[in-house]
This record gives sequence, structure tokens and C-alpha cells, in this order.
Amino acid sequence: MKGLGYLEETILLLVMIMEGEVYGYAVSKAYEEHMDKSISISAVHAVLSRLEKKGFISSYMGGATEERGGRKKRIFQATDEGRKVIADIKASRLKLWNLLPSLK
Amino acid sequence: MNNHKDPQKTAPPKWADDFLQWFCSEELLEEIQGDLVEAYHERAAEYGRSTANRLFIKDVLLFFKPYAFEKYSDAKQFLPMFDNYLKIAIRNILHRKGLTTINLLGLSVGISAVLLISFYLNYELTYDQSFPENEQIYRLMNDYRVQTYTNMRFRDYYNSSREVQQILPRKLKQYDEVKHVCQFITSQSDIGGGDSYYLEFEDQQFVLENALFTNTGKGFQELFPQTFILGTPSQAFGDWQKIVLTEKIAELCFGPTWRQQDIIGKQLTLADETYELGGVIAEMPGNTHFNFDFIVHRAEIPSWGAYIYLKLKPEGAIRSVLTKLNAEIDQIFPGYTEDELSKGVRSISLTDIHFTGGNLYELKEVVNLNYLYTFGLIALLILGTIWINYANLSVAMYADRQKEMAMRKVLGARAKDISFQLLMEAMLLSILCFPISWVLLWTLIPYLNELMSIELAPSIMLQWRSNVVLLSLLLIIGFASGIYPAILFSRKPTITLFGKRASTVPIHRRVNLKDVLLTTQFVIVVGLLSITLFIYQQMEYVRTKDLGFQTEGVMYFGLNGQEKYQQIRTQLMKLPETQSVGANSVPGSEMFNQLTYKMKDTDYVYSDGTYLEMDYGALKTLGIDCDACHLLDEGKDQVFIINQTAAEKLAKVKGGSIYELIGETLISEPEWENEEFGYGIPYNIEGIIDDYKFFSLKYPNQPLLMTVYRESPWVYVVLVKAKTDHWPTTISSIKKAYLEVESELPFTYTFLDDHMDELYKRERRSGILLGTLSFVVIVLALIGLGGIVSYIATSREKEIGIRKVLGASVSDILYRLNKRFFILMGMATALALPVSILLSLRWLENFAYHIDPNPWWVLSTGIASCLIVVIIVTLQGWKAAHKHPIETLRTD
Repeated sequence: MKGLGYLEETILLLVMIMEGEVYGYAVSKAYEEHMDKSISISAVHAVLSRLEKKGFISSYMGGATEERGGRKKRIFQATDEGRKVIADIKASRLKLWNLLPSLK
Repeated sequence: MNNHKDPQKTAPPKWADDFLQWFCSEELLEEIQGDLVEAYHERAAEYGRSTANRLFIKDVLLFFKPYAFEKYSDAKQFLPMFDNYLKIAIRNILHRKGLTTINLLGLSVGISAVLLISFYLNYELTYDQSFPENEQIYRLMNDYRVQTYTNMRFRDYYNSSREVQQILPRKLKQYDEVKHVCQFITSQSDIGGGDSYYLEFEDQQFVLENALFTNTGKGFQELFPQTFILGTPSQAFGDWQKIVLTEKIAELCFGPTWRQQDIIGKQLTLADETYELGGVIAEMPGNTHFNFDFIVHRAEIPSWGAYIYLKLKPEGAIRSVLTKLNAEIDQIFPGYTEDELSKGVRSISLTDIHFTGGNLYELKEVVNLNYLYTFGLIALLILGTIWINYANLSVAMYADRQKEMAMRKVLGARAKDISFQLLMEAMLLSILCFPISWVLLWTLIPYLNELMSIELAPSIMLQWRSNVVLLSLLLIIGFASGIYPAILFSRKPTITLFGKRASTVPIHRRVNLKDVLLTTQFVIVVGLLSITLFIYQQMEYVRTKDLGFQTEGVMYFGLNGQEKYQQIRTQLMKLPETQSVGANSVPGSEMFNQLTYKMKDTDYVYSDGTYLEMDYGALKTLGIDCDACHLLDEGKDQVFIINQTAAEKLAKVKGGSIYELIGETLISEPEWENEEFGYGIPYNIEGIIDDYKFFSLKYPNQPLLMTVYRESPWVYVVLVKAKTDHWPTTISSIKKAYLEVESELPFTYTFLDDHMDELYKRERRSGILLGTLSFVVIVLALIGLGGIVSYIATSREKEIGIRKVLGASVSDILYRLNKRFFILMGMATALALPVSILLSLRWLENFAYHIDPNPWWVLSTGIASCLIVVIIVTLQGWKAAHKHPIETLRTD
């Protein structure tokens, strides 16, 4: 099975969570909003393309807007494989969480 | 690309955007650029434009990584990528160890030379710019007769009281425009006496050389702020009789632990006066127009005048200060405007001082801007040579790699990829030079300091600015020389690259780029060599020219007072090795104040006279013949003589031969009205002596008016001529005699021939620097030539093989190889001839007495260079010419 790094996992989750158009800059904003950490646009782009290469997300070129200077966005969405890998991660983590005696 | 509707106002920085477009793969560009622009607008709205700009640039730079380059390209599977380029580049470098080493060394040496020159130029061109608000600082200068004095006099000259010395500074401070005023002298300046001093405290005694005397300490601190390590400016300049030492002197006097000692307030004795130590200051940078070892804050400046500076308020104009001052000048110097000889007070701005020659008593030697431009030009020439070399060598190197390039093209590499690879290789090589150049520079800076007598700290190499300059120079050279093969290979149709290697050898064309580059290089080499040769000849000429007096075995030292002189003369004449002793007027001088003179009963007044006084002993010591001086032996106290130049000028006005002037009366300063003689001072001309070079050979013979005394009424310098067999013991005997008569001032002496050499030290230094640089250029050019020839010889192997088969001998082949270079050398020499002669003449104009640059020397240099070229070509061609034809012809 293909591995998933921490940042990749987070970004993949964000792609699944986010409503509306999911593209590079939007993801970086969402990351900053949810994680309270800053991230560069280029890092997000690199992770997204890695995820796409691994087949967890797919993309198509979407609409152009005025503020982008008329340039199109690459819109991402999670694939079934992506959803599955997240579910797997959650299940395995939960199993471990449950084994933890107490979290103090 | 679509532009936003109002690009002027809200567009991100264009260069960053262009950069992104340049490196980013087309497939990714749209989304990335879109995201960045969107982010930019949001940030601009939220944080303002400058923050948005900064973040945009940062984001673009963060995208500059392999990910963004060619990710989605269809050809990517076939394309050797970044790491492959690097691997190939390193393999190539290792594969040709010899060529790479030559290339690396050449580039490093050349770049280091260029950087050294720029350090030197930067040092000279930023003179006095370390002082804050230097553009508002001016020095006053006095026009008197036809000369300009860089200092102002005091009203009563040497007899000025402390109040009188303050008249001019106080007056200046009253003007609205003026913020601060200060005046000082340094003891090593022309008006400072040039003496050394004993500094004494607690039974210890040190010899110090350069004192700065000021009676305006606070103003001095305002204009030329000193960094106090111990003490404060108010401690140092709050009261009279204070001394401030520089670090160096503090360490000399108090040992290395002076910082820990409680030395402020200590009593020091200087020339029999007691002073209090007011502070210790850091050394000033070397590129300031005055320097000193310690500051003496004293109510009276021990001279007849001082260098006076003023700092204006930002809105003040120096012109209005001068207008007011010149209008009120009689209040300061009574009778100034009535005096026809006083031509008014002017100013010079602080930063111009170092570049303005021709004024009297300048504190430090000024620099000729033309020399600096010349060095700048040479730096450019070296850069050119390096570039030519590097480009030539890389063309040669890449010629063998045609097939590799062809292969890459077949496998899908685009023109862009090929250029990128070749450029990267060229730049990689130049980056490798960085550490070599760095170490070279670090090692060479002390030598440059010594040669040019400047104070450049090697730590300049630790400043990021120097490193950025070094690196960018290297990258530019790398880029400039890689660009030609890069374009050549990327444009060529693939099929021709698979063809014969000789296709890139433009040897059959009449004129090609490589020939032009080579010829240019040779012009530079021959030109620089010839100019260096002419400079050397001129330096030899001034060293060996008959000056009209002898310097052999003559030394001199300062001594004040007639009585002391008579005592020491008696002592010295007792020494068996002493031949003669004399007083005053040491030859080998820069120009000083001139006076006017005329013959009595004629009207024409000359204004270029130099008046000298000396005793008969001085003339004997210098070996100057003086017919009239026998009068002194016969009991006359003094005789007045003129030199031949003066006599010829006067005879022209008077009519008749110069000998008819003897017995006539000369009036000096005829415009000066006085009670004793009416107008001027009359002198009865008693003799005429042959011209001797009292001044530097930079100036023509000057008219000299001389009074020779049997017993000089005043003495400031003593000349001694002695046998040179045992100089050290002779010197110590002289020193012993000196210490018997003079206890206040230390003994410092100079040999006359050293002094004569000093006169041309700037010219000599520049000559040595030029010679060294020419050597660098020559070595670089020869390295480049060697590379080219070996390349041509290998690429013509087949031609050579066929020629041999058809009966050519080895010498025929070597002749053919040499012929082309011979023609190029001939052209280069022809071009270098007028250029080097003209440039040398420009330089030689600095000397009234100079050699005539002989064109034959240029030709000889050309021929010598030609010989070296022939040797290199023959050595390189030897192997190719000796190869068995079968080896070269059987392939293909």
C-alpha cells in the first residue's frame, strides 16, 4: 500500500472537508485556518500533485475568475481510493486510541 | 497570458512574475500563477501592497524547485533530468582534468585580479566618505600670488597669540550657514615642521611621529567624529593641554592591557610641556585625507597657519559664506584687500580634496584620477580576456560533445533543455572558482596594501557585499561564456550534429569570431607589455638622470637653531669619514610658494621665482659648482646668485648675454611697498650657477634665486656627506653628535637618494601594479591560446594525415599551423603600436623630463610574443604532426 505522510494526510482530509471549489490557494487558506499554522502555496501545490500521482485525488481545470487575472484553477476532489485510505487510517488510529489507558 | 485590467495599480512585481513564467512548466503555470495572483490581491487588500509584493516574491522563489519545472511534460520520462545534468557535468570536469585545471586557475586568477583592482578603486574613490554628512564639509583655501594654499595663515603668522588664532574660526561661526568650525595642523604636514616628538611619562620615553595639533577640539569632534574607547570627547576637548592617543600608541605606551588600566587623567610630557591624557580613540580608516598618531589639544597651534574646515547647515550654501567672508576679510587680516598678491579665499569640498592636485601644502598625497580610470580599464581588459578564454575553451570542449547533444535531441530534448544543460555546466565550473578566488584574495590583500601603501583590511572578504560581487562576477562570466555553445548546439539541426566534428571549426572562413577574439587578446597583451616597458624605462630614466648635484653618500636630518648647528658641525667635521656638512634647502622638493621678480629699470615682472637660502657647506655637500662663492672664502657674509634658467629669462628682458647680468640689481617682490627699499627687495646678482634639479623631474627647470651664506643665520635641516664604507657606524656617530646638542626632539634622518626615489613613488607603484596585471593578462592569454591550438590541432588531424600521405613533412605541417597565428600576431602588433605609444605619451606628460617612447620597443614586444606563440603552437601541434596517418585516417 502507498504510504501517506503527515502533511499529505492533513491536506487530503482538508480536500475532503472543504466545501466549494478545492484548489491550491483555497487549500492553503483552509490549512492556515484549521491548523493555525502558515504554509506556503508552493508546499500545498507539491503535496496536491503528490496525492494526485498516488491516485488519492483527481483534478480537472475549473473556472477562471477576475481576481486570478482570468486564469483557470485546478480543482481537486478526493477519489474513492482516497476516501478509503483515510477511512483505513482512522480505523487503525482508533484501534490504537482505544488501547491507550488514559490520556493524561 | 492575460493581463489584469489595471496592471499599474495592482499587479504583482513584474520581474518575479516573469521569472515564474520562465522557469515554470507550461502545464503548471496557469494554476500556479492564478493562485499566486489571487493570493496577491487578497493580501494587498488586507495588508497593503508592499507586504503583498514581498509575499509574492517569496512564494515565487519557493516555487523555484524541480517540482515546478517539467512535471507534467509528456517527454519527461525520456528526458535526462536535473541530477543527470549534474552527473554529466561532473564527469566531464573530471574527464578533462588538465583542461579543467587550466580553466579553473585562469578564471580564478583573473577574477581575483579584477576584484583586487575594484577593492583598490573603491578604497581611493571613497576617500573621506566615512565622515558623516561629508557633503556639507568644506576646507578654506587661500589664493596668494599664482598659487593656492590649502591652509589659512594666522594674522600674525608665527607670532599669533591664542586669541588671534581664534579670530577666523570665531568669525566663521557667526555666519548663519555655518554649523561647526575647526582648525588643525599635523606635524608631518608641510606647515607642521615634520618633527618627531618624545612622549614621556613615569620615566619612560617614546618617540612619536605624527601629532595633530588643534585648538578647536569640539569642532574637530563634530566634523571628524572620533570613536572614544577610553574617555569621552568632553574629557578630551573640554580643556587645553589634553592629549588623545590612538589605540596603536596607547598600546605602545601602556602595553597590551591598556584597556584595563586607569590611564585617563595621567600626566604626560611632550616637548617639555605637561599634558593630561583625555582619551584613547580607535584608528581612523586609512582613506582619509589626513592622519595622525595622537591629538594635542592646545591653546596655540605651533605653526604660522592651520588647515581650517567648516561644516554647513543642510540648507547653507558655501558660496554665500565665501562672499561674506571675502567682504569682511580685512577685519581678520588687516590690509588683505589692499595687498595685490592676496587673491581671495576659496573653498574645496571635503570629498574633492583627495582628487585635486596642484595646490600647496596638501596634507596627504593626492591621487590622479586618470590613474584610477586606467586601472578600471585594465580590470575590464582582464575581464574581457577571461571571457574570451573561457568562451574559446568551452567551444573547444563542447565540440567533442556534438554526438551527445545529438543523442539527447533524438531522445526528445528540446532546444531549451540543451541550452539549459550547457549553461548549467559552464556556471558550475565558474562556481567552483569561488573558493579558489576567495583564498587568493585573502592572501593577496596584504600585498596590495604594501604595494599601493593603502590600508585595506583582509576582513573585507568577510563582508557579504564582496562575496556577492565575487560570486556574481563568476556567474556572469560563466553565463557569458556558456551562452555561445548553448545557442550553437541548441539551434543546430540534429542531423548535422551527428556529422563530422570539423563542422564547427570555422578555420576555412576568412574572418571568424575566434580570430577576432584572439587578435583582441594579443593587442591587449602587446599593448600592456609595451606600456609597462615604457614606464620602467621612464622610472630608470628619472633614477639615473644627471640631476646637477650628487646624492651619493649624502644624508640629512632636521635640526633647529644656528648654535646647535655650529656645535654639531664642529663635532661632525672631527669624524674621519665626514666629507662636508651644510645647512638648509634639501633638493628633491615638490613645488612650494613662488615669488615675483624683475630686473631693476625694466618693467617686465616674472612671477615664477623660487627663493632658496643655504650655507656654502650645503652647496659643497651637493657638489654644486659656484664661481661667485669664492667671495665667501674671502670674507664676504653672503652672496646672491641665480641659476641659468632665471638668468636666461632676465637676459631676454634686459637684452645682452646672461653674463652681463652679473653686477646688476634684481628686485624681488617689486609690488611690495616697504619703508626700507620703497618697492620690493633689491639684490645684487653676484653669480650664475648651472641649473640643477631642485624640484622633482615632473617639473621643468624653475628660476632659482639663491642667497648663499658663509654662516647661515637660521638653520632647520642639516646635510652631511660622508664616506659610505661603514654607514651603520657613521650613522651612530652622527646620532651621538646630534643627541649632544638636541635633547627635545628625536633623531630622524633620510638618505638623499631615498628621498629622490620617494618623489616618484606613486608613479613607481602604479608601474609595478600595471606590470603585475599585464603579467596576469599575458598568462591568461597564453593559457587560452594553448587550449585553442590543441583543439585546432586535434580537429585537423585528418587533414594533417592526408597531407602527410601526400608527402608533406612535419615542418610543412607545423608551418601551416603557425602561419595563421603569425598573421594574427602581426595584425595585433600593428594595432597595438599606435595605441600604446599614445597612451604612454599621455602618461609621460606628467614629467617635464621624460623618455621618448620608441616604437621599436612595441615591435620587439610583438616579436617576443610572436615567438612565444610559435613555441606554444609548435609544442601543441607536434603531437598531431607526428601521428601516424593511418591512425587518423582509418576511422569513419
